[in-house]
Amino acid sequence: MFSKGSRSIRQLLMSLSIGLAVVGLILGTVLTFLGGEWHKTGLHFFTEAGAGISLTWKLDGLTAFFLCILLLGQSFSSLYALGYLQEYEEKKKPLRSFYVSWFLFLGSMFGVLLADDGFTFLLTWEMMSLFSFFLVLYEHEDLQNRKAAYIYLIMTHVGTVFLTAAVLYLYAMSGSFAFEVWAKAAPTLTIIQLNLLFIAFFIGLGTKAGFVPFHIWLPYAHSAAPSPVSSLMSGVMVKVALYLFIRLVWLTLGPGPVWWGWLFLAIGALSALIGILYASVQSDIKKLLAFSTIENVGILGMALGSAFLARSWHNAWAMDLALLAFFWHTLQHMLFKSMLFMGAGNIIQATHTRNLERLGGLLKRMPKTGLGALIGIIGITALPQLGGFWGELLLFQSLWVNTSQLLNGWSKVVLPLFIGLLALVGGLSIATFVKWFGISFLGQARSLVAEKAKEAHPVQVITPLIMSGLAVLSVLWPAGTLALINLPLLVMRDGETLGIGSVIGKPIHMTSVYLMIFSLLLLTVVILSKRKARRVTPTWNCGSPLTPSMQYSATGLTKPIRILFAKVLGSHRQVDRNFEGTPYSLHSLNYEGEIKAVFEDIFYRPLIRGLLWVATQIRKLQEGNIHLYLGYLLITMIVVLILAR
Amino acid sequence: MDESLMVLTRLLMGLGHLALFLVAAPLLQGFIKTSKAFWQMRQGPSILQPYRDLRKLLNKEELISEHASWMFLLTPRIALVSTLMAALVIPNAWGWAPLSGWGDLFLFGASLGLVRLFSTLSGLEGASTFGGMGSSRELFVGLLTEPALLLGLIVLAFITGTTSLQGMTSGLVTISPIFIPRLLVLIALVMVSIAEMGRIPVDNPDTHLELTMIHEGMLLEYSGTSLALLSFAEQVKQLLLLCLLAQIVWPSGLISASDGLLGLLWALGFAGVKVAVLGFFFATVESFFVKRRLFLLPNYLATSTAAAILALVSLWFIRGQI
Repeated sequence: MFSKGSRSIRQLLMSLSIGLAVVGLILGTVLTFLGGEWHKTGLHFFTEAGAGISLTWKLDGLTAFFLCILLLGQSFSSLYALGYLQEYEEKKKPLRSFYVSWFLFLGSMFGVLLADDGFTFLLTWEMMSLFSFFLVLYEHEDLQNRKAAYIYLIMTHVGTVFLTAAVLYLYAMSGSFAFEVWAKAAPTLTIIQLNLLFIAFFIGLGTKAGFVPFHIWLPYAHSAAPSPVSSLMSGVMVKVALYLFIRLVWLTLGPGPVWWGWLFLAIGALSALIGILYASVQSDIKKLLAFSTIENVGILGMALGSAFLARSWHNAWAMDLALLAFFWHTLQHMLFKSMLFMGAGNIIQATHTRNLERLGGLLKRMPKTGLGALIGIIGITALPQLGGFWGELLLFQSLWVNTSQLLNGWSKVVLPLFIGLLALVGGLSIATFVKWFGISFLGQARSLVAEKAKEAHPVQVITPLIMSGLAVLSVLWPAGTLALINLPLLVMRDGETLGIGSVIGKPIHMTSVYLMIFSLLLLTVVILSKRKARRVTPTWNCGSPLTPSMQYSATGLTKPIRILFAKVLGSHRQVDRNFEGTPYSLHSLNYEGEIKAVFEDIFYRPLIRGLLWVATQIRKLQEGNIHLYLGYLLITMIVVLILAR
Repeated sequence: MDESLMVLTRLLMGLGHLALFLVAAPLLQGFIKTSKAFWQMRQGPSILQPYRDLRKLLNKEELISEHASWMFLLTPRIALVSTLMAALVIPNAWGWAPLSGWGDLFLFGASLGLVRLFSTLSGLEGASTFGGMGSSRELFVGLLTEPALLLGLIVLAFITGTTSLQGMTSGLVTISPIFIPRLLVLIALVMVSIAEMGRIPVDNPDTHLELTMIHEGMLLEYSGTSLALLSFAEQVKQLLLLCLLAQIVWPSGLISASDGLLGLLWALGFAGVKVAVLGFFFATVESFFVKRRLFLLPNYLATSTAAAILALVSLWFIRGQI
């Protein structure tokens, strides 16, 4: 079927990837328990790159937290890839380019997290973009994937332009690339300079994180990549961008004016709402998950916003709550989103379709994949049994504390509205994931491929279940999770600080109490309600036979949402009825529905038109006339002579 | 030793708290049915009929759709247990809730969220159109109710200065009952409660007509024990909402054992009367209004959200903070 050689290469390389991650995790744990001041001050390293340039690296508490996220993501995705890549071998698709990009992508993410100066950061950042681009392009036979990778490449470079500008400007201002020098120079900058730098960082990093309106690449790229890569990109790479917000904005540019916090809050809320709205109307199982990533990045952005606001209002309690919410949700989202992408990968390999409308009834055929996916959706829809909810609880509370401690002003009205908005997002996310899970796993199979689906490779089934175990553990043992979150907080909070335990008191420890009471009660009810008299019967359908097409479709299930938010989604439909001359009997009916990417229309098209217009104007310089060019040369020479006088 | 005794007492009190809700829920349902019969000028069923219905269903044979999976049987159990988890944060007749601490008002809505997740998923289990229809509508109504419910409760939290439901209801004792923000919140919460309970004008609990049903649509495939558990969960949820509303309208504060047995019994009786009055109120609303179309519901729930926002604005205005 496929050669033994490629199989052992796969096993060797993926085991190496897992092994490295596990070693990293163990080393990290040991280092953390050894203690010392490194959480706060950082461990410094440097690499000579030749030509007098040295790359500097630093490991502190903040980096350690994100390294932990990355290492967890790496180990689980590699474990999953161990099974997932087998399909490519069977198809005789060469995997060498995948392996090379995989390791370099992971390595460059480590680089970004550890980088301690602007030059190293830009270098590793570009590598990260480039190798994730190669991974997105791995299934390049499909035109859609090529298009996705192309959009990704362009958008990520637009972001990098802004980052490069900001880095070079800071270099010009401080005469150094080192982050520490920048942090010292920041207070000397004027407010306009700070604001410009902030905007450049916001656009540059926001593009990678997937903030609306810079998100347009994300749904394409995350869904085009092979599933282990999707789970890494959604679970880890967007978090790396958020890490840089903390490193470069929170820690380097300093507290900043109040509007920075508002911008984070507003853009975060916009991303959350737009992300989940678009997710709710998708019928592509991976695109839906990618849009949900935008939603969760939005929630993380809101947490950062609340933290920034609390920092400028000197509200220590609200700041701690918001930061806790941020790190808690970062961890939980990594776990759940990776699990869901793995579930989606299993479905795709079993049925070779990503269209929800062709799935159905998979829970009976792929029970273990289904169990993992169910746990994933309970986590990601922020229900209190798992960790997703508790992060949002902290965010709610932080917004509440922020509001109630303000003395006066309209902020007291605006801030609570974000709580209402977050509640709406929560309701929408339940609808979205009921659709994702319900249409694919429940009911009757809607196509032959779904009917013939087989459970995936054992490794691909076990990985999400191990991750569920970890998610449950993080809730059952909140003290452990808090100890991990304490690492970055040590770096980010300044001055006298209380321990986290005293900051949040009882409620966060309720995570375990809640889950335990729930499980005990559930066990009691299940045992008490046990009855033997059960009979399996056909579904009642008013006496007529039941066909799979009678079920609600994915499009139909969220149709009320599509109608309510038609303006935002730009949804429109066209129905052509063909009566063939007779007034009564319908011969054929053609239905077309479309969801427009509104942001592409209102934000990007004018931008592109503007760029093209400028390009046309510039082209007027090039007449093709040699006399004109000689004239240009003459003018240039005169200008240079005047300037260099 | 003392500490373990404390824990044991709290555990017993918590179990008592849940048992009270479980026992009283069908009674409330019976009372509302009787009240509706009163307005319809007919001799309704006995007030104890819901208990008999539950007993009958519990002993019946259960039919399961051939398309359903293991989730189908799990849902009713989860629905009941999650509703009970929500009950753990609702202050009872004595103003006490077992799981109270800051932020527990968010826990209330989220606990009911799990019920929604599982019941809408199970609506898709039977592979019939009706189940999907019910699920689709329930998801739609659910996402509209959530902001209004949370905003309403948040404003109460601002009025009383705490995000714990127990703290809020005991804090309201000192606030004037005609304090404008409080009245506005009440309007918002009453409207949301109607939607959450699945009553007219949002949903009709008595119908089994496919064009109108929301909640019943999802339960269509259920029978026997599972149906009993699902209806029971719905009744408990109804009692929880009325209890919360009653505590907001006429808060009785925290009553402890130091008030003596008579005080405790008096509080229980008073709470019963409050809930009954509210139940009669909702039965009256249900008798005098008609069910609205699904796509008119956004307006209805937007009104409720707007009331909550107005409450917020008026609160800061009255306190002179904007």
